[in-house]
Amino acid sequence: MPSNCLELITIDRRSRVPFDSQIKERIKGFILDQTLYYKTALPMPNELAKALNITEKKVVKAYQQLIEERFIKQELSGIYKVSYFELTNYFFDRNTAVYDAISTLGLTPSIRCVEKKVITLTKQEIEAIGFDASQSNKYFYINRLYLGDKQPIMLLENYLPLYIFKNIDQSFVGDEPLDAYIKAHYNLKAQISKRQIKAVNLDRTMAKLLNERPNAASIQSTNKVYDHLSRLIDYGRSHTISSYYFQTLVKKDDMVNAYPQFFNQSN
Amino acid sequence: MMEYIQINKLLTTSIYKQIAASITQAIDRGDLKYNDKLPTEKEICQAFSISQTAVKMAYEKLINEEKIKRIKGKGTYVTNRDVYQGNLHNFYELELLEDKVTPKYNQKIVMFDKKTKDYGAYRELKIDKKEPTFQIIRVIRSGQNPVLLQKIFFPHKYFKNFEKQYQSFSNLFTFIEQTCNYKIAHLHSTFSAINASASEALLLRLEPDDALHYVRTKIVDKKGNIIAYIYNYFPGDFTEFEVIVHAI
Repeated sequence: MPSNCLELITIDRRSRVPFDSQIKERIKGFILDQTLYYKTALPMPNELAKALNITEKKVVKAYQQLIEERFIKQELSGIYKVSYFELTNYFFDRNTAVYDAISTLGLTPSIRCVEKKVITLTKQEIEAIGFDASQSNKYFYINRLYLGDKQPIMLLENYLPLYIFKNIDQSFVGDEPLDAYIKAHYNLKAQISKRQIKAVNLDRTMAKLLNERPNAASIQSTNKVYDHLSRLIDYGRSHTISSYYFQTLVKKDDMVNAYPQFFNQSN
Repeated sequence: MMEYIQINKLLTTSIYKQIAASITQAIDRGDLKYNDKLPTEKEICQAFSISQTAVKMAYEKLINEEKIKRIKGKGTYVTNRDVYQGNLHNFYELELLEDKVTPKYNQKIVMFDKKTKDYGAYRELKIDKKEPTFQIIRVIRSGQNPVLLQKIFFPHKYFKNFEKQYQSFSNLFTFIEQTCNYKIAHLHSTFSAINASASEALLLRLEPDDALHYVRTKIVDKKGNIIAYIYNYFPGDFTEFEVIVHAI
């Protein structure tokens, strides 16, 4: 639907965000909410430039960025088409390892270790997180980038207590899936994970790693993972690329149970 | 302009504490709102003939308590703002504004419209863009602070009497179920993070480009029709969703 597509792409002239970034974000948004499907043709740059009353260069720049991020491709005919397929919510409301979730999406998963070290947390930090303060204050910190088909998807930092994962700092290489590793070496498994979700602006460092512009919006999830003994075994914080999304389904019955007043005026 | 600051020099309570307390009270009362500009230190010390140190100390106390903040070259601003904390699956609880016993939230309807140019909404509602669709834009607030900006779309084909009924709109679910006689089956929502546009920032009292939770919700009725579609915008800095995930 190339003609529809032309009407969809608009820009906000009062915004401080450059036009090419706006076009890029706008198209990306439509691809992600499936307004533009896999193989949908985008308007030709001169066509869009004319409709928006901006230079063609800006449009080409936006398209180039989308190509770099693998959202679109330029075919031999010169036509730009959507090349992206959907990221599902596998990461989110199931306790699936991120690594496995990426392969479920049909992408080849890989992990790049950005940083790993043993750190000392203060008593306040330990108590604020909820780790056992009577134990050693040494923690294994890892900061890793999860990729699908070599494109960044999620940056995940973990704090693992050394009193549970003894000597993990000496054997853990950094690019192996964490869940499988702790199952194999420590026979431990996540039983419950408590997550706190926020929308945040990415700082420069994280933006660079995730291949996003600084200040791009990202879903931040702070996770506390408990084992079968209700012990906090892992404290982590993830930031995802701006194109990431997840879905929820809330049934009416659950809504009625939680808030009967919405549906029952006779009471 | 600074009548909310009260100083009684006859009291033994130190001046700086009195200034801090009166500003705190003004914030709690809602006289001072998020993003309101406070007088400069100089203005206060001249108005009350007191030392600048006292004002400085008062402001520092409030900055430490995260009630106000200094922006270099601009001034001092009220920053305290409630963070909405809710369960991810229950975010619709913000509709509690109709709860007369404990009215947690209030709403401001920004606009009623009988047409929309939002093609994304047409697509999600699975209707042709020539079909008329009503739109409500509202801000749900806690006190004075915006908690949620909503754009709600009602297709004419499901809400034929909207123009007669919309004036009774206040609670979304009550409106759909009681006023318009639809039976809701479920809400299907897609969560992502976006940067605020100029107009979203304005309505949510944020800066453009600040992060927002962007939640698109389809309301599906018992017959399986998508009868309404909503864009929800939550201010990122002031919203936290919780969720508990169990092992499979």
